Amino acid sequence: MAINSPPSIHHERPPLYRDVTVVKWVVQIVALLLTLGALWFLANQAGDNLRASNVPTDYDFLSVNPGIDLSSGIDTDPDTGGRALWVGMVNTLRMAIAGILVATILGVIVGLARLSNNWLLKKIGTVFVETLRNVPLLVQILFYGAVFASLDRVTAEVGPINGWLHISNKGLSMPRAHIADGFYQWVIVLLVGLVVANFLRKRRIAQQDVTGEETYPILSAFGLMVVVAVIGWFIHPIFGFIGGIFEALSALVSSIPETALQFVIGALCLGTSAYWIRGFLNSRRTPAGLAKLTDDDYFRMIFAAVGGVVGAFFFLVLWPGLSSWMINSTSDLFEVLGNKFGNGRSGRPLDVDLPNIVQTGKFPNYGPSGLNFSIGFAAVFFGVVFYTAAFIAEIVRGGILAVPKGQTEAAASLGLRRSTALRRVIIPQALRVMLPPLGNQYLNLTKNTSLAIAVGYSDIVQVGQTVYNQTGKTLPVVSIWMFFYLSCSLSISVIVNFFNVRMKIVER
Amino acid sequence: MNIDDATAAANDRLADRDDMIVCVNVDKFYGDFQALKGVTATIKEGEVAVVCGPSGSGKSTWIRCINRLEVHQGGDIVVDGIELTNDLRNIEKIRSEVGMVFQQFNLFPHLTVLDNITLAPIWVRKKPRAEAESMARALLERVGIPEQAEKFPGQLSGGQQQRVAIARSLAMEPRVMLFDEPTSALDPEMIKEVLDVMKELARSGITMMVVTHEMGFAREVADRIMFMEGGEIVEVGTPEHFFTNPTEDRTKLFLSQIL
Amino acid sequence: MQEEDPISVALKQEEDAAPNEAPRLSVLQWLRSNLFSNWANAILTLLGALAAFLMLRGVLNFVFSENREWVAVRTNLRALMTLSYPESQYVRVWVALGFVVGLAGLSAGIWSDWGGLPIRRLATWFMGIGGLIALCVVVREPSVLMDSEGKALSTLEGSLQRESFGAAMADRVDWWIAALVLFTVGAVLWSRYSSVQRRHVELPITSIVYVGIGIAILTLWVVPYGHYAFVDGTYIAESGTTVAFSTQMPWTVMWVLLGLGFLVGRFLRSSQYVGMSKTGSNLLWLICPFALFWVVLRDPALDYGHVMSTDLPMGLAFGLLGAGALWLLTRSDIGEAGRIAATLLLIFAIFNWVAAFFGWYPMLQKARISFLLLAFAALLAPNFIGDIAKRRQLVLGWVGVMALVHYLATMINTPSTVDLQSDEFLGGLGLTLFVAVIVVVLSFPLGVLLALGRTSKFPIFRMLSTSYIEIIRGVPLISVLIFFSVMVPLFLPDGMELAELAAVLTGYTLFSAAYLAENVRGGLQSITKGQYEAADAIGLTSAQRTGFIVLPQALTVSIPQLVGQVISSFKETSLLAIIGLFDFLRVANSVIPAQSEFMGVKREGILVVAMIYFFFNFIISKYSQRLERRVGLGER
Repeated sequence: MAINSPPSIHHERPPLYRDVTVVKWVVQIVALLLTLGALWFLANQAGDNLRASNVPTDYDFLSVNPGIDLSSGIDTDPDTGGRALWVGMVNTLRMAIAGILVATILGVIVGLARLSNNWLLKKIGTVFVETLRNVPLLVQILFYGAVFASLDRVTAEVGPINGWLHISNKGLSMPRAHIADGFYQWVIVLLVGLVVANFLRKRRIAQQDVTGEETYPILSAFGLMVVVAVIGWFIHPIFGFIGGIFEALSALVSSIPETALQFVIGALCLGTSAYWIRGFLNSRRTPAGLAKLTDDDYFRMIFAAVGGVVGAFFFLVLWPGLSSWMINSTSDLFEVLGNKFGNGRSGRPLDVDLPNIVQTGKFPNYGPSGLNFSIGFAAVFFGVVFYTAAFIAEIVRGGILAVPKGQTEAAASLGLRRSTALRRVIIPQALRVMLPPLGNQYLNLTKNTSLAIAVGYSDIVQVGQTVYNQTGKTLPVVSIWMFFYLSCSLSISVIVNFFNVRMKIVER
Repeated sequence: MNIDDATAAANDRLADRDDMIVCVNVDKFYGDFQALKGVTATIKEGEVAVVCGPSGSGKSTWIRCINRLEVHQGGDIVVDGIELTNDLRNIEKIRSEVGMVFQQFNLFPHLTVLDNITLAPIWVRKKPRAEAESMARALLERVGIPEQAEKFPGQLSGGQQQRVAIARSLAMEPRVMLFDEPTSALDPEMIKEVLDVMKELARSGITMMVVTHEMGFAREVADRIMFMEGGEIVEVGTPEHFFTNPTEDRTKLFLSQIL
Repeated sequence: MQEEDPISVALKQEEDAAPNEAPRLSVLQWLRSNLFSNWANAILTLLGALAAFLMLRGVLNFVFSENREWVAVRTNLRALMTLSYPESQYVRVWVALGFVVGLAGLSAGIWSDWGGLPIRRLATWFMGIGGLIALCVVVREPSVLMDSEGKALSTLEGSLQRESFGAAMADRVDWWIAALVLFTVGAVLWSRYSSVQRRHVELPITSIVYVGIGIAILTLWVVPYGHYAFVDGTYIAESGTTVAFSTQMPWTVMWVLLGLGFLVGRFLRSSQYVGMSKTGSNLLWLICPFALFWVVLRDPALDYGHVMSTDLPMGLAFGLLGAGALWLLTRSDIGEAGRIAATLLLIFAIFNWVAAFFGWYPMLQKARISFLLLAFAALLAPNFIGDIAKRRQLVLGWVGVMALVHYLATMINTPSTVDLQSDEFLGGLGLTLFVAVIVVVLSFPLGVLLALGRTSKFPIFRMLSTSYIEIIRGVPLISVLIFFSVMVPLFLPDGMELAELAAVLTGYTLFSAAYLAENVRGGLQSITKGQYEAADAIGLTSAQRTGFIVLPQALTVSIPQLVGQVISSFKETSLLAIIGLFDFLRVANSVIPAQSEFMGVKREGILVVAMIYFFFNFIISKYSQRLERRVGLGER
């Protein structure tokens, strides 16, 4: 067997600069170091410059009165910088959530209109989409703002329905339902009701599966919720005892020693990296023992380990305040919750106030009792809603067109009614395609609310700008913006992903 | 392993030639799956070696390890005296000496046929464009499609595309040609035109390693046939030995299914 | 970004299927099948018609209302276009525009056959537009009666007093004529051809567009469009000669240039120099924004002593010595010494920038840039080893790049002779276009690099690019712009300064690059593994593989998304208005309403701005759809 005998091979190690693995990792590590170096350098520079201009980078302004007034929000005269930014965040979220709801509805309608076989509706839909898509959002917002600003002045009897609904150049004012004493107990009742209703829904579904009879699971669950809500309106004071529980929790949390939490955080960092490495090794394990690890694999593990150690070091040594902050804020949160359930809160859960017009100084203005939407809010709201709806309409249209025609035909050949075919066959498939880009649009809408700064609606960016103009703390404010928007983006993508995964399971 | 007289004769005939590809105990893992289990084989200069076996037996993986499209994790591979290691220069050298033809052709759809062929000679071998183009036209002549030079791959039939792919590999003047199931993605009527080109190549004396299910081709031009299963070479022999008198049960079973 | 976004695929197929030949229906049949096929449909149609009617009426009443002060826009047209660019130097703006127009004509001529428009479509359009105008005339409310002082008259109850319907129709006789003329032209076209001819006889689109533009320019000579006034150097309006008067001649020249450019392009297309002229026109497009903005519009006051003593010798030195070095580096026997030399050069070039930050030794910025470019050229050099022709390519290319870079750098660094009111040398639409073009041009390479990083098999590169892209995409553009306009001075070392516009451009480019990277990534993911393997198997290096095989295909695939990105970059330039730059939205929103004549007149200006944005974006998106369809056909 001369031909197949292994010849002796003279091994030689290639020089380092020609070794694939070495080159690959040296290049990467150099790039990483360069990036980190550049960041460090910039941060250092910024620190020097800030010190030179006597504006230290700290977050003290969060607890100092900034002395600013906000144009709208839950608190138009905040007493701390933190409170002001909080109001801005709430305003942004309010705008984003309302905008997402309305834009989705409008977008679906327009998208379907473009798909209909009615020539006129199709054309209207097309004009809507093409016009709004091709004009910058900011231009639209400014235009709406200018139009609203040219509405009639506020007078004591401005309409259209005096005492109920007012529209003027100060915005819109209408009746408001607001949270009253018994609200939080009532919420507990609702939560209990929700659990029971869900249970009912599942039972009904099971019943339908067994007997084949229509049991209307969602309808009956919904009915149960209504009943619970009505009953809860009267009996909610029985949940007053929950306040005590929260207060106890608050005391419990504040009794945790700081160092213990600190060590837990450090251990968590190390543990995560160790867990990852173990998982990695497991994935490389073969029935015949551990598979041969490549140099890449070693580098990965070393990186994970270094990351864990650096993280632990960071939290333990460089930022020891984290644990005390976590303890204090959690304890505060429980205490606030406890107060909400405090004794003697037996009033109605919700109250309704009618709008009023008050004479402050020379000019009449909307009073605080109604639900007031400023011109700024309306301009931004209409802007983001129309703009996003145009994009959503295209997504809806594309999503439905992406379902092959054969699916409709197959459903029809099975004898499904058109509505059933839509609900059970077409829409589930279209939704699966539509979800990721829809999530993107929701994200865009949330980010686009930042254009409120142009019409003076107090969103987080506008408030932040006012705050740093007053205090000079630009860097901290920008960091808060980044943190806020990144959390929004992350939440939206988590939600979208959750539904995405569910859709994929439906597919199987 | 069993060797009968014909195989011995073949081995004698090949014995005095230089080693072209030497594999010793080559291992390859995908996660916890071992695709190659200590593959050891030597292919001589000018030899035509056909590798066959059921799907999933590791034949494609092996052939792709030889020009490092896959990185082997154990054992040694030496091509024309150059060891395949992490050394960048060795990888470059081996790749410019080893041509490869893929199952899916993998022509570059955005380049004309001529540009597909001349790309590597110009940018890797540093040839003047005029020289590269005249060689490319000669190669197209050789594979029988001189008139298609200015077309894009998408405008050609599968068989024509595969012949362009062969010409593209030959343009690098390789010492070894690897074929990874070159006819599997083709319609039956196009298989012959590709096989004809490959036969012509085999007669020209270039070293070839061919993964294929075309047993007719193997019988006609192969110097040796290697049968793989489960990541191992089960049996090696000349075509006569392999088709008339296989020794291993697994080979017999495979042949009974395929013939 | 998935490999193939199913939604855009579906929409594309729908669009491709659109121009099918529908069976001919009579008007009644058409109405029945498209509008009144069943009860629900009929109700929807009626509701839709009502909504459309109200919308149209609202828009018309808004536009033609006696409260609209369109004169504010007309008076401030120049401010909207270029802000306070001095009157005496205005010819520069026209020269710049003329260059772009001529180049556009040239490219249109060289690049493609634009096809034709069937007579049927054309006639329908004419008739449709005529009908629409007639409809608008009828729908619009009768005008308010004015008294002799131009004040609106009111009735006793306080509502406005309007003329009668008949009088209104009679007043709008000029509109009636316009509608009638358009309709007649359409009808004549329609009746002159048989139904088969209507479908198959085509007029070239280029001629239609050219004639259309010609007619529009002709109206400048005929129709008095209103008062233009702009006293040199102020925003104050003054009545004087009309817009038409001051621009009719330049626009006519533009029109001629466009035609000439097109004819030259056509000639080149049929000559043997097609390839060369294509490359040439592309290069001109790439260079012209920089040259026009910094050289033509600023007119640098060159200090010839300095040019002779420093700039010219330096440019020559880099050009010639660099060329010599590259010639050596492309010798066939250079081997690994070439790579080592290139790496050393790169380290030196990067070190120059580090030294600049710490202020270790002085060096002209030009020299730093040149060294960096030389290092990149040296890294590319091994690809050009071979025959003389290839080496010459690299060396000549280097000399050309050096000439250009040094010329532009000298021009940009020299102070401007054009005396301006504001810090920025241009405002209005000029600034908007400038920012949009620069951002698109600069963010492209960065975006491609980020996309390659994100899809690379090097984990650290992947991690860095991914976190960069995701962080940037998670925050709104306005916060990035504010960050850069306010914060950049903080990050710079002592003595280094960056103009606000430059800071904003940097921020915007970095932002745009992250989005662009995602679009390119979509294209990169659509490249099959086989392409990488084939490139490896024929021995290409990874740089060659990326440049010759992967990127050309990936970029072709992502053209629609890239065009979308260009459109949104252009739209988002409007945010410049918020951070204090005078783009044309800012002019419409803040400058005009602050003039004493036009106190608070905002809506008109903003509407015009919206229309200009719409015009550009609509044309770009339609063109991209066309392009996409053609690329798609090429593949098949």
